[in-house]
Amino acid sequence: MIPLRALDPRRWPLAVRVPLIVAALVAGVALATGQAVLSRLARDQERHLSELASAFLDGLATAVQPAAARADIWEAFDALDRARARYGALRPMLAAVLLPDGTVLASADPRSIPTGSRLPAALATQAEAAAAAGMPVLDAEAATAVLARDLAEGAVPLGRIVAMADIGPLLVERRAVVGTLLLANGSLALVFAAAGFLLVRRLLAPADLVRRRLAEAARGGRPVPVDETLGIGPEHAALLAAWNRAAVASAEREAMAARLAKEERHAQVGRLAAAMAHEVNNPLGGLITAVDTLSDHGDDPEVRAEALGLLRRGLGDIRNVVRAGLATWRGAPGDAALAAQDFDDLRLLVRHEVARRGLTLEWRNELPGEVAVDRTLGRQVALNLLLNAAAASPPQGTLRFRACELQGGGAVVEVADAGPGLPAAMESLLGAAEGPPPEGGGLGLWTAVRLARSLGGRIIRIPSDTGTRLVAELPAASARREAAHAI
Amino acid sequence: MKASGLVHRRTLLAAASVALPRPGRAVASVRFGLTPVFLDSDLVLLRDLGGHLEAALGVPVQLVKRRTYQEVIAMLLAGQLDAAWICGFPYVRHADRLSLLAVPLHHGRPLYQSYLISDASLEASSIEDLRGRSHAFSDPDSNSGFLVTRWLLAARQERPEEFFNRPFFAYGHRNVLRAVGAGLAESGSVDGYVWETVADREPALTAGTRVIARSEWHGFPPICCLTERREGPTARALAAAFTGMAGHPSGRRVLEALQLDGFVPGAPSLYDGIARMAAAVGMPR
Repeated sequence: MIPLRALDPRRWPLAVRVPLIVAALVAGVALATGQAVLSRLARDQERHLSELASAFLDGLATAVQPAAARADIWEAFDALDRARARYGALRPMLAAVLLPDGTVLASADPRSIPTGSRLPAALATQAEAAAAAGMPVLDAEAATAVLARDLAEGAVPLGRIVAMADIGPLLVERRAVVGTLLLANGSLALVFAAAGFLLVRRLLAPADLVRRRLAEAARGGRPVPVDETLGIGPEHAALLAAWNRAAVASAEREAMAARLAKEERHAQVGRLAAAMAHEVNNPLGGLITAVDTLSDHGDDPEVRAEALGLLRRGLGDIRNVVRAGLATWRGAPGDAALAAQDFDDLRLLVRHEVARRGLTLEWRNELPGEVAVDRTLGRQVALNLLLNAAAASPPQGTLRFRACELQGGGAVVEVADAGPGLPAAMESLLGAAEGPPPEGGGLGLWTAVRLARSLGGRIIRIPSDTGTRLVAELPAASARREAAHAI
Repeated sequence: MKASGLVHRRTLLAAASVALPRPGRAVASVRFGLTPVFLDSDLVLLRDLGGHLEAALGVPVQLVKRRTYQEVIAMLLAGQLDAAWICGFPYVRHADRLSLLAVPLHHGRPLYQSYLISDASLEASSIEDLRGRSHAFSDPDSNSGFLVTRWLLAARQERPEEFFNRPFFAYGHRNVLRAVGAGLAESGSVDGYVWETVADREPALTAGTRVIARSEWHGFPPICCLTERREGPTARALAAAFTGMAGHPSGRRVLEALQLDGFVPGAPSLYDGIARMAAAVGMPR
């Protein structure tokens, strides 16, 4: 079923609208010229008919007048009968001589209009009008013209000649002209419409090429430059050149975004390295103290045991931090499935940032066992969200982390902070398709959105009274395949 | 009766063919009058008739045609014509001043009839059926085209203008046929010889008419001249040219066109019947 909107001409493509407008204009011009031609033809025909009628009536009046004066039936009939044969061009269908009292003296066809009868009322009315006007009265419906001429001897009326001519051939000629005009003008309109269609399509071809490139770019492809020689005229050249400049600029922004992402990653690594150094450094003081204690009081079994316990715990903490760092940064995408422990490791990585800002971290890791989500990418999504939330949280605020299994397979990571809320520019990143990174911050969220999307998932904001609450849905690989198959 | 007529005709034709008397040298030309009594619309016939008469008379012959009988009779009585082919009715009306030169023979007899005709679509079988109908007469001086019908009505104490609806004169038997055939008149009075001849040559013209009554036999329209000129050379030459027509090729062409057998001198008694009708309707000689 065709949607109603498609019937709205304003929604039709230019390649259709312009030829239709051209055809309509041609039809309009043809209609106007056709009217002029027909009007001129009708005037010429009526003038010709009027001249013929005048000649006919002149001749007939000369022949009939004496008969009318004597009321001579035969002479009147004889004149009418002979005139019918002589004025073939006028095609007289009927001719009669009336006496002054309106009765028929004689007619050329006495069987239909006998002597002594009266003309039919309609014909008599038309004859009256024709005699008064001095020209034929046309009846297009009946295809007849009524002619009339009053006969008089001085001021004495002798009667009237009434004739009816067949104007069927004139009307047939008019119809033939109308048909020819319609055919010729219709053909012209079609030819112009077809030419207009081809011309407009050719004119619009460069614009259509840019439109297709735009559509491809909107679907996630990279803007591809076009051949500028396809343009017709300076307007197209400017359009194609502008598109190519935009494509180049877009490519440059992509490259710049990639560089920025890399730099952000490096910065993140730097921050994490600093955090790790801090975590390693923290117990180091205690460890060195424990070593000194062992050196000085190692003989005392109680002191030695306490110092060794301190050393063990301190080194254990350092080992855990190093392991978490290794697990986060040494892995490559596709290495292993995501497990609850992978998220717990992140707690160690952000502990320094949390402590530095005096935040309270509420940690709820409810992921049961392993889920078929890429471990490295999943952890990076969660880490970005955590670091963003920590940065957005006010001092002494609470940072909440929750991980659980996604219905249908996969993992859900929810991070909430007590910050001022997500700026509109940042929120637009959540629903935007592929695009360059935002300027002036937000690179972490941009990266997390891209990573979540690469896993077939998404990041959404859950409305909350205070702060920002973001949820990353990371579907399992099998669920993604099923969804793809379903599509 | 019929056989003796034929013998008489042959004798006359033989006598006329022996020698054609010619008018004196003083005669520059001959004026011969024609009425619409016969087929005067045939120009070839008129040319042949003129040619035959000129050959026979040796002088130019001018054929004078007029629209009505009255005009030709007036010219003849005024001496403006040497002779004329007129109708029996004006002949009997002016018998004291006119003499017969020749009388045509039709089907071997110098006689003809008047026909009462009607529109072919009209259910009429007698003159009574024509009451209240329109009627076309040929000429007020025509026997077959007026007098016979008037006489019939007079016998019924009727007058044409009261018996018929809008009677009119068409001034020519052929015109009467046209009027009735076209429906201008529902009935008409016409020369029977003309009707038969036209029916033979132009059947379309008589197709719309139907003969509903035929009159008694009357003397055929004669060729007459003033009595005082009857014995003059022109009159005698004309009489001989007509009565000897069958003996010459040009004359036979004329007779063939007219569908006549020839001409005979004729006798005034041929027109006694017409005279009686004229007297009966109050138009004596």
